Amino acid sequence: MAKKDNIRNFCIIAHIDHGKSTLADRIIEHTGQVAQRDMEDQLLDSMDIEKERGITIKLTPVRMLYKAQDGKEYIFNLIDTPGHVDFTYEVSRSLRACEGAVLIVDSSQGVEAQTLANVYLALDNDLEILPVLNKIDLPSARPDEVAKEVEDVIGLDCSEAPRISAKNNINIEQVLESIVKNVPAPENLDDKPLKALIFDSYYDNFKGVICFVRVMEGTIKAGTTIKTFMSSKTFDVVEVGTFDPHLQPKAELTSGEVGYVTASIKSIQDISVGDTITDLNNPTQVALPGYKKVAPVVFSGVFPVDGSKFNDLKEALLKLKLNDAALTFDADNSIALGFGFRCGFLGLLHMEIIQERLEREFDLEIVTTAPSVAYKVYKTDGNIIEVDNPSRLPDTATIAKMEEPIIKASIYTPPQYIGPIMDLCQEKRGMYLDMVYLDTNRVTLTYNLPLNEIIFDFFDGLKSRTKGYASFDYELIGYHESQLVKLDMMLNGEVCDALSLIVHKDKAYERGRAIAEKLKQVIPRQMFEIPIQASIGGKVIARETVKALRKDVLAKCYGGDITRKKKLLEKQKEGKKKMRKLGSVEIPSEAFTSILKIDSE
Amino acid sequence: MAGIYIHIPFCKQKCTYCDFASYPNQMAKAELYFGCLYKEIKAKKDLLKGKKIDTIYFGGGTPSYVDAKYILGAVRQIKNYYNVAENAEITLEVNPGTIDRQKLEIYKLAGINRYSVGLQTYNDSLLKRLNRIHTAQDYLDCMELLKGYNTSVDIMIGLMDQTVEEVKKSIDFALKGDVNHISVYALKAEDGTPIYTQYLNAELPDSDEVAEMYDFTVNYLAEKGYYRYEVSNFAKAGFESRHNLNYWKRGEYLGFGLGASSFCLERRFTNTEKIDEYINAILKNYSAEIFSEKIEGQEQKFEFVMLNLRTNKGVVFSEYFNAFNSHFKQDFKDKLPYVLEYMEETEESIKIKDEYLYVQNQIIIQLMD
Repeated sequence: MAKKDNIRNFCIIAHIDHGKSTLADRIIEHTGQVAQRDMEDQLLDSMDIEKERGITIKLTPVRMLYKAQDGKEYIFNLIDTPGHVDFTYEVSRSLRACEGAVLIVDSSQGVEAQTLANVYLALDNDLEILPVLNKIDLPSARPDEVAKEVEDVIGLDCSEAPRISAKNNINIEQVLESIVKNVPAPENLDDKPLKALIFDSYYDNFKGVICFVRVMEGTIKAGTTIKTFMSSKTFDVVEVGTFDPHLQPKAELTSGEVGYVTASIKSIQDISVGDTITDLNNPTQVALPGYKKVAPVVFSGVFPVDGSKFNDLKEALLKLKLNDAALTFDADNSIALGFGFRCGFLGLLHMEIIQERLEREFDLEIVTTAPSVAYKVYKTDGNIIEVDNPSRLPDTATIAKMEEPIIKASIYTPPQYIGPIMDLCQEKRGMYLDMVYLDTNRVTLTYNLPLNEIIFDFFDGLKSRTKGYASFDYELIGYHESQLVKLDMMLNGEVCDALSLIVHKDKAYERGRAIAEKLKQVIPRQMFEIPIQASIGGKVIARETVKALRKDVLAKCYGGDITRKKKLLEKQKEGKKKMRKLGSVEIPSEAFTSILKIDSE
Repeated sequence: MAGIYIHIPFCKQKCTYCDFASYPNQMAKAELYFGCLYKEIKAKKDLLKGKKIDTIYFGGGTPSYVDAKYILGAVRQIKNYYNVAENAEITLEVNPGTIDRQKLEIYKLAGINRYSVGLQTYNDSLLKRLNRIHTAQDYLDCMELLKGYNTSVDIMIGLMDQTVEEVKKSIDFALKGDVNHISVYALKAEDGTPIYTQYLNAELPDSDEVAEMYDFTVNYLAEKGYYRYEVSNFAKAGFESRHNLNYWKRGEYLGFGLGASSFCLERRFTNTEKIDEYINAILKNYSAEIFSEKIEGQEQKFEFVMLNLRTNKGVVFSEYFNAFNSHFKQDFKDKLPYVLEYMEETEESIKIKDEYLYVQNQIIIQLMD
């Protein structure tokens, strides 16, 4: 079959921090696509949060022209991918638009948890994988050993793997040539009816929804009436184009090409990522296999600090949802926090990022509650319900049993940290499964762990106990029955619903005491004494007291400077406005999140 | 009723907690400064036109540190351009160790009839640590000189290593003088002052300890015949400071000199704290104001409430009505329910209950918009 010989669609996959974005920048630079002066630090990481955290969250495609050593010019479509375990789903989306993947391995670190996870994803999608050993200029680099590790652990031939330094611009040309040589060209299926995959989208105020597409078969251009398979909607295409890297209109996109489509799509719900587009007048019969619907695993309440901003929060979530199929949200209300949303996330990082984006991109002040997982509750009447909000747990008398989600965790570590990691997993109610030496320097530990322990402070614990050397990947494997209880926090005798947690009964006492202590620190003293109690089923297991305030007065003589006095009061008032009220008790927003940051040690 | 405040920004040395406009080693500028001060007094004469001035207050810095002729000059200048009541209260802040009979004669000539003496503490080593210039003995000498005059004394609580027992000793010591009025201020460590470091190092008593000292003070002074008429001010009946009360009643006043604040014709304004900037402005016939704000509508009412609630009389309904031609309870009906349990109400007035006066911010901010 004919190929589009001049096109290479590929992505770069790597464990976090192995240099993915840096290599992407180098490739862009080498193809001369973007003038040096236009290059921001790392072009593809365009969100502020991504830049600050040095991580990639969003996919961002770039189209480049590369003049290869064979004298021919090639079109490179690079689709960047996120590196964090929370975003495995997004990686798999971009993989579907490619024929090949450049696998970066840090030649001082070796194979890490997400290296492997991403390789498996790429293999699942039948991609050609090109290993590249990065950071060879580091004094601690050991490319020969790491090459062998990649061959042994992953089974990829590394004999021709480029050895590069993306940071210092060493051997980047080899990567480009390897892409030309090894990434398969897409097939030429221009004659077939249109079949294109929407692999991402975002909302633009002027153009409406912008769909990122990979055309698999056929041709799409302005004026084409398109139909989506899943949502069964039709639109007239207004513009098609490529990412150069900014939107560059083109006459048409044909099979094998990566680009964007706009069609005056006003509602962000009209398009779902993973859907297939076809031509209404000449439709393809079979849609591309849809994405596996991704299910959130971590849930938390998100409430506006200012209750009147509920609708703004809703709008913001809708906008974020457009680019983030994994985000779910439903209206929720709480006695302490008023009206807000119960949101579902892929993991803790995803949760943090969404919260941060709400605050920064949408300028919203929000309060979030402690994250929870979804529990299966078997009721005595035979019904089974899922509960992801502890305050919605039914009366214990009506519960026959409960199950909690379990993950299978793979932890990659140098051997000296095996002991501390096993201790940590033990504390987190883990069940040991396996331990495998990858080589003398690296071990994989496999554990089954309850997800609700992971979302508490597992990451921090793992990092601190292994000096950051261990990496971690996990997959949800199912539900196990567990002795779970609902831990309530009472303030001045009233249960604060937004502070309730579902915990294992063996952990309840310790957790209750720790939270009570923490709340004592964050709740400011008020006009009266406030008892803080942790209770299970009405039985108090821990108690602290916030003493009544004794001095809160502008007692200094400012003479006639009343303005200064007023300003101090206004500032105090501002702080008070941000407090939530439970009965007569004022609770600062941070009280709801601070209970996450309790050091379990 | 209106007041005048005169700021004297000179002192021998700066106390470690002081963040007022006051400068040691600037005495060379005194002549120039007072020249400007007199000019400013004259320039603003129309602001209080037709109003009776019944209190003048010299604050600082250390007003008693400068040549007494300047004080005399200032009072004369005020009397030249303002309508000063016959029986006006004219107060001078005095630091022990800075006055003598000669000065007192001139002050008498000026019409000073009330002295506010800064003792702060009886404890000599503490005085030294605060970089005060006087000793406890200086205070006794000073009070000896002031015998027969209407005097007030300032003491501080919340100082380094202070205990309730120490506060009691300070009060006892202060009362060795013939004192009609006592101001008790809790130390507030302001950023930028030397004492702020001690505050950051938690070397100062915490707020509970200060509250303890305060509660003791209130009770102890009551036993001694001094009742609390405002958060920090205690007096024998009839000796309340009119100048202070004018602030708390939201009366008008003009402040002259460095950093001085004024409230007049519903405008609050404040002068610069930089001495050269002040002198330059006045010499060029510019205003020395660096801040000015018009107070309007609900803000006026809030100010009235916030200020009056500092006093033991609280908000007197008739006074409120006279000021705004509306009813307090009506104007604050949405906010009052949240604070009523901390208030004491009669037919005529409403005040903060004694036991809550020291946590009054919590109440006052509830009454804010």
